[in-house]
Amino acid sequence: MKSTSIHGSVRAAGAIAALSLALGLAACGSGSQTVTVALKAGESPAGQQLYNKHRGGVLTVYDHEDFEHFDTGESYAGQDYTVLYAISRPLYSYPPNSANKLSPDVAAAAPTISDGGKTLSVNIRPHIYFGPPVNREVTSADVAYAIERGANPNVACPYFQSYFGDVVGAKSANGGPIAGIQTPSKYTIAFHLTKPTASLLYGALSLPLSSAVPPEFVRPLDAHSPTTYGTEYLVATGPYMLKANSKGKFLGIGYEPGKSATLVRNPSWNPHTDFRPAYLDRIEINIGGEPAVIGQQVLKGQDVVQNDNPAQSIVKEAYEHYPTQITFTPGSGTYYASLNNAHGPFKNVNLRKAVWAALNRDALVKVRGGSLTGQPMTHFLYPGVSGYEQAGGAAGPRVDYNEHPEGDMAIATKYVKLAGYPSGKYTGGETVQVVGATGEPEEGMAQITNHALEQLGFKTHLSLVDKSAMYEKYCTVPAQEIDVCPNAGWVRDFADPQTVLYVPFNGHAIEPEGNSNWSQVNDPQINAAMEKAELVVGEPAHAQAWAKIDEMLVQQAVAAPEIFANIAAIEGHGVVGVNQLWNSGAWDYDFTSLK
Amino acid sequence: MTRYILRRVLWGGVLLFVVSALTFVLFDLLPSGDPARLRAGRGASPQAVAHIRHELGLDKPIYTQFYDYVKGIVLHFDLGYSYFSHASVESLIADRLPATVSLAAGAILIWLLVGVSVGIVSAVRRRTLLDRSAMGTALLFISAPEYWLGLLALFLFAADIGKIPVFPGAGSYVALSADPGKWLSSLVLPWLVLAASFAAIYARLLRGSLIEVLGEDYIRTARAKGLSERRVVMRHGVRGAITPLITVLGLDVGTLLGGALLIEVVFDIPGVGRLNYDAITHADFPIVQGTILLAALFIVVANILVDISYAYLDPRVRLR
Repeated sequence: MKSTSIHGSVRAAGAIAALSLALGLAACGSGSQTVTVALKAGESPAGQQLYNKHRGGVLTVYDHEDFEHFDTGESYAGQDYTVLYAISRPLYSYPPNSANKLSPDVAAAAPTISDGGKTLSVNIRPHIYFGPPVNREVTSADVAYAIERGANPNVACPYFQSYFGDVVGAKSANGGPIAGIQTPSKYTIAFHLTKPTASLLYGALSLPLSSAVPPEFVRPLDAHSPTTYGTEYLVATGPYMLKANSKGKFLGIGYEPGKSATLVRNPSWNPHTDFRPAYLDRIEINIGGEPAVIGQQVLKGQDVVQNDNPAQSIVKEAYEHYPTQITFTPGSGTYYASLNNAHGPFKNVNLRKAVWAALNRDALVKVRGGSLTGQPMTHFLYPGVSGYEQAGGAAGPRVDYNEHPEGDMAIATKYVKLAGYPSGKYTGGETVQVVGATGEPEEGMAQITNHALEQLGFKTHLSLVDKSAMYEKYCTVPAQEIDVCPNAGWVRDFADPQTVLYVPFNGHAIEPEGNSNWSQVNDPQINAAMEKAELVVGEPAHAQAWAKIDEMLVQQAVAAPEIFANIAAIEGHGVVGVNQLWNSGAWDYDFTSLK
Repeated sequence: MTRYILRRVLWGGVLLFVVSALTFVLFDLLPSGDPARLRAGRGASPQAVAHIRHELGLDKPIYTQFYDYVKGIVLHFDLGYSYFSHASVESLIADRLPATVSLAAGAILIWLLVGVSVGIVSAVRRRTLLDRSAMGTALLFISAPEYWLGLLALFLFAADIGKIPVFPGAGSYVALSADPGKWLSSLVLPWLVLAASFAAIYARLLRGSLIEVLGEDYIRTARAKGLSERRVVMRHGVRGAITPLITVLGLDVGTLLGGALLIEVVFDIPGVGRLNYDAITHADFPIVQGTILLAALFIVVANILVDISYAYLDPRVRLR
């Protein structure tokens, strides 16, 4: 998933989360007193309090941008997930203060993996109900249909083939039954795989696609192209639902495009089957507005939070004057400059290393808002992703072009000479095409990258275009032969290093359009190592295998690293907000409460 | 007169066709996002994108797309569906138009009242301290960017974030049908900010025009006939001087009804301008096209009305 909607993760959070969850579940329903501990700016949200908080009230949410999808089959953006994980329940999910430890959600327990990793079986909890207008118990057949519809062209789940493609029959699926998904009982679902990739599938069952949907309600909607499930009608399984009429229609009632969305309690939700406390009675989301004004309204407001990222000026003001109303979530993805490995001067690995060495990563961090909002990136697995420590941790691999985050022209010059340019300056003649996004901080980051290229002797043509044009017309279209895209970024889909490295750096993932391997890395050795690592089962070995791949990517300098991102989030002084560490610190409406 | 109006309406139709065609071509040429890819979402397979492109009709040649679009409007008044939200463009515009009309109507009223009054006083009392102060202030408001002025107004006077909390702030807009009192109070600040620069321009325009008219022979004749100065200025002077203002007003009203983008964004008013802005960022072409057509339609209609009003305001003008 790209950086515009990045998710976060914090490795250290796992143990704390497990402890908090255990304490919270023990306290659930005990009627114990309300205790509130506010975090101060800079403190990791890993330690945030989840349970024993005030119940009731209405939370107002300001959201500068509109949502993309409410359909669990279509959605693939962190902003949408804030609503989706409040209204729907996948088989597994992360508690808000964990990024690595999956908890059973609709599933009753961890899956059973058998047949050497080629079969994964999940038992689901009884007494989970669909919200209005369906109001019946969820069964394994509902989960099966939810996943199968991901292959329906009218739904077109963006990650279906990446994570469910190894299920027997999935490659040729088009929305109908998939042979490899079986429901031997009302409460059991089994996945049969063509390869022993059950561990990866287990992680993918935390994605919204595994949230049950009622076929009798959704199938007629899926016949439309595109489906009208999620754009007009919706059925909830989570503690909340988008306000809707008696037929389940929410468009124009609980959601007005570009204006507002309203979440109300789902009357069919069964709290005894869920670890979410759902303190709030109602969540009113206001869409639109000017970020600087929204930020002020939140900092000076009472029961209000901002859902998307606050403006830089607001982050500074909040940190200085409202330190208990801002949080910074580490492990929120990476930013890097893609270098075209397949075309132009950056086919030469030494020139790529020269750019890596010359790039002033400290300046890039400053442009994004300083050390609270990120650290210089030193390799491709980022903090919180398993394999990060094995791959070198914060310092990263010990190679000379990675040693100086402030940029080192002497080392950069050395690599330009090694590339065959004795003067230490690039004299190849051709103009390097650089495409970045307009608006800050992207524009500033693009300028810094462009400056590094010019220092190395490259003649550059820097184009700054609208972000959507940068994505859709230039940097994700290999035929455009863009040499450098300084505003690339990546974030994991779930807690598996494969989701960080495979798509952006595997040659088999290169697509003619919508390509996420921006650098067009297609190294046979790296590809082979990835195919092998995918099949490694067991946490230390799996992480080690991907750490090794990370090292190979650094050795090949496949892109120029910029920033390990932290994401800021702000809340009003009447809110006890809980951030989703697994979702770049977005507010968790299931755990957030009012004072 | 009837022939004149018919001719103008026909030309208006041609203009709308040209605007529509230009928008189609520009959207195709300019580096905006790919609607099919945006609709498909991040990470969608090329097959899924191709399927959506086909469903949206984006795989057809541009002239075919344009023909289908025009046919839809002419035969069914169908402006299409949003690529992003799937809502019909007519319904989205109809939903947003009341907010824009509310914003524009109040602002127009304020700027006409203030601009015309100040313009007349400044012209009559030219080169006095009052005139210089009024024109200096007008210059200030003309120079101040609307966006900045809006932010300043909010940080000074908004009830939630202002230093002197007087008026409801950003995001407080309520529809007139829902609560007339809240509707009125929520629009006071946006009206004042939107009217500020227009009132300043109109004041300066009217002052210049009125000074010129007051030097005309027929004004001297009116004075020689013994008419009171008030009657000379208001009855004969202003009537002659106001024609340029009406021309500008026609354009301004048309443009504003197409959406007061900056004010709508700053004050978080869900109007047509913000709908257009959001649509541009989502490459949601049907909405962009619909809102541009709407703005063009308002400009055409406003100009026809302006031309007709000339005949009534200025006896020297006859429409043929």
